[in-house]
Formats: sequence, structure tokens, C-alpha cells
Amino acid sequence: MSTQTQAPPDGASSSVDTRAVAVRPLWLRVLTTRAAAILALDVVLFVVFAVQSGGPFASEANIQSLLLSATEALLLAVGLAMLLGAGIFDLSLGANLVLSSVVGAKLMLAVADRTPDGGYRNLSTVVAIGVVGCLVTGMLFGLVNGLLVAYLKINALIATLGTLGIGTGLAYVISGGADVGGLPTEIQSDFGLLTFGAVPVPAVVAVVITAGVFVCVRYTRFGSRTLAIGSSPSAAERVGIRVPRHLLRLAVLAGLLAGIASFIDLSHFISTSLNGHSNDALNAVTAAVIGGTLLEGGKVSVLGAVWGTGLAVILQGGLVIAGVSSYYQLMAVGVVLILAVGVDRFSHLRRART
Amino acid sequence: MSTARRRAPDADEAPPEGAAQPPQATEASPGAATKVAIAAEHVGKRFGHVEALRDASLRAERGQIVALFGDNGAGKSTFLRILQGIHQPDAGRLVVDDQPVSMTSVRDAQALGVDTVHQDLSLAPDLSVVDNMFVGHEVLRRGPLGRMGVLDRREMTERTEAALRELSINLPSLTVPISDLSGGQRQAVAVARAVMWSSTAVLMDEPTAALGARQSELVCDLMRTVAGRGLGVVVVSHDLPRILAIADRVVILFRGRTALDVPAADLTVPDVVATMVGYGQEESAA
Repeated sequence: MSTQTQAPPDGASSSVDTRAVAVRPLWLRVLTTRAAAILALDVVLFVVFAVQSGGPFASEANIQSLLLSATEALLLAVGLAMLLGAGIFDLSLGANLVLSSVVGAKLMLAVADRTPDGGYRNLSTVVAIGVVGCLVTGMLFGLVNGLLVAYLKINALIATLGTLGIGTGLAYVISGGADVGGLPTEIQSDFGLLTFGAVPVPAVVAVVITAGVFVCVRYTRFGSRTLAIGSSPSAAERVGIRVPRHLLRLAVLAGLLAGIASFIDLSHFISTSLNGHSNDALNAVTAAVIGGTLLEGGKVSVLGAVWGTGLAVILQGGLVIAGVSSYYQLMAVGVVLILAVGVDRFSHLRRART
Repeated sequence: MSTARRRAPDADEAPPEGAAQPPQATEASPGAATKVAIAAEHVGKRFGHVEALRDASLRAERGQIVALFGDNGAGKSTFLRILQGIHQPDAGRLVVDDQPVSMTSVRDAQALGVDTVHQDLSLAPDLSVVDNMFVGHEVLRRGPLGRMGVLDRREMTERTEAALRELSINLPSLTVPISDLSGGQRQAVAVARAVMWSSTAVLMDEPTAALGARQSELVCDLMRTVAGRGLGVVVVSHDLPRILAIADRVVILFRGRTALDVPAADLTVPDVVATMVGYGQEESAA
């Protein structure tokens, strides 16, 4: 990875002055990232809550519950971080999750072939249809967002504010306003609440996907072009990148992640939760931005999104166990968000952006 | 100098017909005498009621630096965009690498080996030097990883190092984001990138506009190096003295037409300014 160019021995031919940049060692760069700072904060908070609660907070059951509640938020935050990296926004991720889960649940019930005692004769088909229904709905939702933003050039904030309303409304219409329940309990026992060792399987899924996105951002052409677009859309266009097509793919990808989260949601509760996701999109923005992803585009921190999600979850769980109203969690996360971004503004690390 | 003063008005008499056929073409690069890198012949372009270009011609041979001068509104930007493939001319024809061509996009121009150094450089400030050099032309790993879109940063880094070395550009690091570089360093990266991806011609839009004196000199040296590699260089600039000193030919646009197309050695800055502001043009029109 070391790619420093050494000046040729005859330094006389140096045609560009090299005073502007001092290259810092890798470990120092890693340690001074926002992601590292938020991770440190996570660890400190975790230890404080563990000590303060005298055990219950650090118990296996509680950690599992924290991981489970972080799973869906993480998938949304990671998808949103990619979008932000390209300089576009998405307010509709929570609505996407709800709509996808409603469509998936309705499809499962529609194809179900029940036995009189409530079992399923075609369980694997039902589950497969449910998974496909959730994922495809999520992608279609993302596709619509992408078409509006990338091809019709509607401001992403406006377009997704619109699809947020449309998606939420549609979910209520399809479900008739009541949560869709009665799904096969196997999706909960064999996936939603299943643990792999001590780790909930959905969390494993989310971590694997997050790792994939991390690799995508860091090491692939797709990631590099995403950042190029976010960094300077006109420059990306001029070097020949098909910017609208790329944005469309990104929006579909974020939709797919919301679709995956929606199936995890179903398998967690064996039911949809129509009212449980109204803040999901903003929480995802918070997690991504706390972690160091730039709202203006050009910089994505996938790890930062992970630790940012963790921060919200730890605060939530910790305050509840400490007997403090969880309303304070909202305030605490808000304070951290403003501090993290504010400190960055004032620090010397903030470079003049061209 | 006195001969130059006489020459300029002479050339003014001729323009519309003969402008694109420079009589003494071999001057700059005897080795590649008749190889046209990029040329536009009698190009016209209208935008609604505005006639941006009427009869603009320009011809850059391989190894030549052609300066494109003109006052604001003379049509330089439109002309450059036509050469870049962004605009399509209403009249006239384009030649790239000795072949008549029609280009409908930047990608077409790039496929023909014509690349541009934009005035704003068009670099992605958050991306590293290496990623900027290759953005849009990324090199992928061999094998299954490559099919999944994984970049071959090692190869990209090596080729970036080679490309920068060839132009005698030294940077402290290729992994720092562009926003950490100085203005001159950014300019150098933008030039190196354009050179890397162009096989016939490099177009430069105001390459010295944002630079100090020393860095401007370095960019001019770069332009000579680029031309020396057998590429045609077309440079749009207001930096008359500096560009005049290194150009082989000078093309001056006045109100959308080529008012002058002569070897740079025959011109002085006052000649250029006089033609740019239309001195002599009004007379011939009257």
C-alpha cells in the first residue's frame, strides 16, 4: 500500500514544489479518523454503562439485544453512506423498509398453504417468496428514487421526501392500516432470533454485507467512481463516467439494503411494524455523518457508520438499563452529532475544499 | 519584430478561405510534418439567435503547440467545446489524427485520443492522485476479483509514477487526496492525466490562469514536453506573453471567425492584442 513517490536522485529536475504535503504514517492517519474517535466513544460508553449497571448491561442477552436492534439501522446507515458519498440523499429508507416488509408479508400470506393446525405445507416456498418480495420491493423503491434523482434531476431531498410519503401511504393502503401478522414462526426461530455462537444471525448477515460495502468503497471501481461523483459531479461527467447510470445503481443498492433490513424486521417480530420506522432514515443519516461520512459527498466512512450506529444503540440500551428515560438518548445522540461535526469544522484537519 | 508587424495585417486580408491551411506547416516538427493531430475547418455554430462561431479554423499538427487567443465573447469556449466533442458544429468539419470525424460526446473525443485539461482542472478533490489519474479509465485486477470490479491500485500507482516521471513531475505522495496538493501540483496532475489518456491531442483551457509566475513557467515547460512527445497541443489562454513564447502557431478568433493563423514567431503581444480587439477587422469589413 505504500505508494510514496521518491523524488529522482537528481532533485534539480523537480518541477513541482513538494512543500505542501507532509505524509503521515498509516497508523496515525487511522487513529485520527472520526471512525476511530467514535469507536473509542462507543467503548467508553459501553464500559461506563457496564460498570454503572453492575453487570446486566454487559450480559450476553443484553449484548444480543443491542446487536439485534443495531442490525437494521446498520444496513440503512451503510446504504445511506454510499448515497451520501455520491452526494445524494435519501429520506425514504424507513418508508422503503416498511413498504418492503408489508409487501413481503402479504406475499407470504398469499402463497401460504396452511394446515388446519396452523402449520405450513409449503414453508420453504413461503419463505423464499417472502425474501424475494422484500428484496425486490426494496430495489424497486430504490429504482424509483434513482430515476427521479438521476434522470429527472429532481433534488434528492425533495424526491425522497415525496417517495417517503408515497411509500408510507402505500404500505398503509396495502396493509389496511394494521400490522400484517401470522407469518410463519420459523422465520423467527430459524433466522430472526437464531444465534450463531453468541451472535444473532441477522447481525452476522449485516456485518457480512457491511464488510462487502467497505470493500466496495475502498477497493473497487464502483466505489472509486461513487466518490468521484460525490467529490465533483462535473469532473466525473467530464472524465466520461455515466453519472446518472451510476446514481441509479447506487439508489437500487441502497434500496436492496433496505429490502434486506425489511425481511430481518419481519423475522424479528413475525409481523410488520408499520409505526416503528418513522425515524429510521434520519437515524441512518445521523449514524453515517457521526462516523465521518461527508454530507457534501466525496467521503464515505463505512466503519464510521458502524460505530455511529453502535453509539445510538449503546446510548439507548444503556440509558434504559440505568433507569433514565430513553428520551435522553435522542438528546445525547443529537449532542454527539453536533459535537462530532462541529469539532471537525474547527480542527485543522478541515481542509479548504475546492 | 518589424517584419512581424508587417506580417500580421497581411494575414488579416486572407482569413476566411485560407485560414485553415497554414502555408509553412513544417516549422515546428519536421519529423511529423503532415500529421494533423486535431483540426477544425470553417466551423460554424449557432445557439438560437446567437452565432457563436461563423468561420473558425484551427490546425494543430503532432508536436505543435497552437495558441488560441481571442477576446471575451470571440467564441474560444465554444470552439474548444466543439474540439472536445461537447458541442457539435452546424457547419464545417473536424479532423482528428488525419481523419475526418464527427464527435457527439466527450467519450467520442476520448476514444479518438483527444483529452482536455479544464480550467477548473476537473479533478475530484477527495480522491487520491492515483485514483484521479485513472478515474473513468480504472485498471482492474486480473481474474475473478477483476470481474467483480476490484481495482489494481498497484498497477495504477506504477503507471501514475511512470507518467509523472515522464513529465518530470514530482509529488510527495500519490495517495494523498488532491485537496492536499498546491495549485501547481494539481495543475500538473491534471496535465499528466490528460497526457496519459490522449494519443493525438491535448486541449488546455487557461492552464496558467490560477497559477503564480513560477508555476506558470513549469506548466509551460510541461506543454513543451507534451508536444515533444508527438501530441498536438491546443491551448486557450489570456496569458499572451507566456503562451506566445512557447507556441508554434497562433490562431486568433474575432467575433466567431479565425482572424489570424500564423506562426507564433512572427507575432508580438501588441500584434495579438490588436487582432483580438478587431483592429484591421473593422477596416476589411468596411
